[in-house]
Amino acid sequence: MSWRGSLDARWTLASVATLLGLWAVASWLLPAAVLPSPLRVIAAMVALVQTRELWSDTAVTLGRILMAFGIGMCAALALGSAMALSPRAGAFFRVWIVCGITVPAIVTILTVYMVVGMNDRGAVLGAALTVVPFLAINIREGLKSIDNRLLKMGQVFRASRSQVARSIIAPQIAPMLLASARFGLGLVWKMVLFVELLGRGNGVGFRIEYYFQLFDMTNVLAYALSFVFVMLVIEVGVFGVLERRIFRWRRG
Amino acid sequence: MDQIQVSSVSRSFDSAGTRRTVLDNVSLSIRVGEVVGLVGPSGCGKSTLLNIVAGLDPAHTGSVTVQGRPIGEQLGAGFRVAYVFQEPRLLPWYTLAQNLEFVLEAGGFARSEWTRRIDDVLQAVNLDEFRHFYPAQLSGGMQQRASIARAFCIDPDILLLDEPFSALDELTARTLRQSLLTLWQRFRTTVVFVSHNAFEATFLADRILVMGGGRITEEIDLRATPRPRSYDDAALFEASKQVIRILQTQAIAGAA
Repeated sequence: MSWRGSLDARWTLASVATLLGLWAVASWLLPAAVLPSPLRVIAAMVALVQTRELWSDTAVTLGRILMAFGIGMCAALALGSAMALSPRAGAFFRVWIVCGITVPAIVTILTVYMVVGMNDRGAVLGAALTVVPFLAINIREGLKSIDNRLLKMGQVFRASRSQVARSIIAPQIAPMLLASARFGLGLVWKMVLFVELLGRGNGVGFRIEYYFQLFDMTNVLAYALSFVFVMLVIEVGVFGVLERRIFRWRRG
Repeated sequence: MDQIQVSSVSRSFDSAGTRRTVLDNVSLSIRVGEVVGLVGPSGCGKSTLLNIVAGLDPAHTGSVTVQGRPIGEQLGAGFRVAYVFQEPRLLPWYTLAQNLEFVLEAGGFARSEWTRRIDDVLQAVNLDEFRHFYPAQLSGGMQQRASIARAFCIDPDILLLDEPFSALDELTARTLRQSLLTLWQRFRTTVVFVSHNAFEATFLADRILVMGGGRITEEIDLRATPRPRSYDDAALFEASKQVIRILQTQAIAGAA
């Protein structure tokens, strides 16, 4: 590992330790029922890991996240590309996007639940719909910033359409797609917890709501943290690896 | 033998309701293996003419033919055009070798030929040891040298250069002009370049076409000047002064 790599690792460690320290201090100042200490939460997590409940809820929530993410990403890709490539589509969908961003997520989710029904389809669709406008804007901006000069270079050397797509367009939009996917997944998972809390009888969101009703903050935090770990694994294991592949050429 | 025939080509652009004529009834012919320089003030239509010859701008009147056939047909039939831009325009996510492979694939060369062609041109411009470097790891001059190598590696029928050295310092520009001439001597490609540097034009060209107001106003023949040429050649210096005089006269006439 390079000098810079080990420096980064040290700062990351310091940052995590500070966060835990702040949490510990706050938990001394507040009653344990309001904000349990990190140690109590970690102990609860260890206990939870041994139950089937945590695993099945995590699996259910993860499934909904992936579905909602897939649907949201595909819809945003179609919408964003249309808006970037056609001025008419851009003008037409602009109002939709602005509305989509302005309407509170809870309104969208409740409306979808009413229309589709309080079921898994409604949950996934509601979570997906709330993130589409944000992702579509990202994708539109990314596509608009494609370098015309490189496209012209491909044109004069008579590169085929597939060559242009593969060698000129794809490498330019890959970083934007990766950033959008990261942003989208982060947004989707919060939305999925929200739809679960509002109208599902299982999943991490439901469980958090359930323990909150029991005023059991230790388990609320233990559930939330366990799921944060799952998302961290995806972040490091999937996005981190993709990022290193995409940006190989930038590391001089 | 005439290779490229440009006959009565005009091109105008509509912007904000007004029509601006950039090329006004331009005709010229270019022989095989000739180096032609287009010189003139900015906005005189030189780059537009270059694009039309490249077959990139079909919205013109008049005709451009290659060996008697329209440029569009010839491009479909394996006639190869290469282009060197003012900036290198290399693909930053590809190494030098991969950048050359990109145009070789586009030019329809068999994969078995790639290595030989890449070795050949990269050695000629002294970039052989940098073949696995990414463009960002090289200086601006080296990147532009690579883009010249990229242009030659497809053994083009015609090479077009649009102010290829204007973004470089004079010393780097000199070594790059040398690289260009080294490769040109090997391939004997027909070259058309655009420049606003009178001395550069006289150093490189067999013939200089001075442009102004969308027309070719003057032609200077340098075929009698032997190659390889030297920057200290008095005859070249005289010729470049002549080009500057013509440009100045045009500028004064245009201002009046």
